[in-house]
Amino acid sequence: MPHVERSGLKLHVQVLGEGPPVAMLHGLLVGSMASWYFGAAPRLARRFRVLLSDLRGHGLSDPSPTGYDLATLGADLHEILPLAGAGSATLVGHSYGALIALRYALAHRHRVARLVLVDAPLPPSQVPELDAFLARRPEEMLSALPDALQSGVADGSRQGRRLVAQLRRLVEGSLLADLQAEPDFADADLAGLDLPVLLVYGDRSGCRAAGERLARVLPRARLHFLPGGHFLPTEQAAALADLLDQELVHG
Amino acid sequence: MSTQSEHVLTTLAAMLREVIGESWADDLDIGRETSFNRDLELESIEFVALAERLQTAFGARVDFAGWLADRELDQIISLTVGEVVDFICTCLTSSEAA
Repeated sequence: MPHVERSGLKLHVQVLGEGPPVAMLHGLLVGSMASWYFGAAPRLARRFRVLLSDLRGHGLSDPSPTGYDLATLGADLHEILPLAGAGSATLVGHSYGALIALRYALAHRHRVARLVLVDAPLPPSQVPELDAFLARRPEEMLSALPDALQSGVADGSRQGRRLVAQLRRLVEGSLLADLQAEPDFADADLAGLDLPVLLVYGDRSGCRAAGERLARVLPRARLHFLPGGHFLPTEQAAALADLLDQELVHG
Repeated sequence: MSTQSEHVLTTLAAMLREVIGESWADDLDIGRETSFNRDLELESIEFVALAERLQTAFGARVDFAGWLADRELDQIISLTVGEVVDFICTCLTSSEAA
């Protein structure tokens, strides 16, 4: 399995295509690189060198009891980013993955050419993926998951069982505490980020207000809505691929 | 089935058992009719691991990323082993002819 090791932790990576560097990041809890691998990544790989990774504790990366704060996840990204190639990279992130990208761009401005932030929550602790855990009734919990995962969990399939096992490991570690402790981004910092940013939000997403705030504060941002909720990479895969293709090639 | 087809099927079946990594898969008959979703209950991330192994084994002759780009995830997951074998064989045959 292609991976990068950081402090004894194996991080699963895949590289597709050749061209200028693009790195794609998924969201917490229910995410993995699969949503990009089977979504926008192959299309982008026609013209770009696309680096995908599983966050620690997710997908095929090693489990980790700690390190779900943006600084640590940004350091993980810093370790793997050279695999995307030399020069400044386009970072594409969904949900908490978008925040990792945003925090990374603020810390390593020279390393980033452009950002695409897909349904990023603000403040960081407001990740919709947590709704499943805060729900009081099982059916609410289920409907807080992305569509593609709901039947797996409900039917007790192998996919459902493996997802539940991943969630259990994450929740037993520091993930929830790290999320709660993560400070909000400061408007003053965001206002200084002189970098093209495409913001893509679901028009019915609970994070919509975060998109509007980012659009107001970031000096070079454009906000685009797609029909839907939070889980755009799986629920609007084709439309998102079209948009990314358009943005990265012509934007 | 042609020899090439049989070879590809054997290779793919071995890779699947490796990716799944659970003992039930070792005892399972994996053939052309085996469905990734229904029979193997493969997670999408395991399909990524499989695609990467296939790309490594068959190299530039098989454009997986391109093939995947034209399909939605639910189409991919509902494929059978036979359909993937046929795709690989088609690529191998046309690259030999070229």
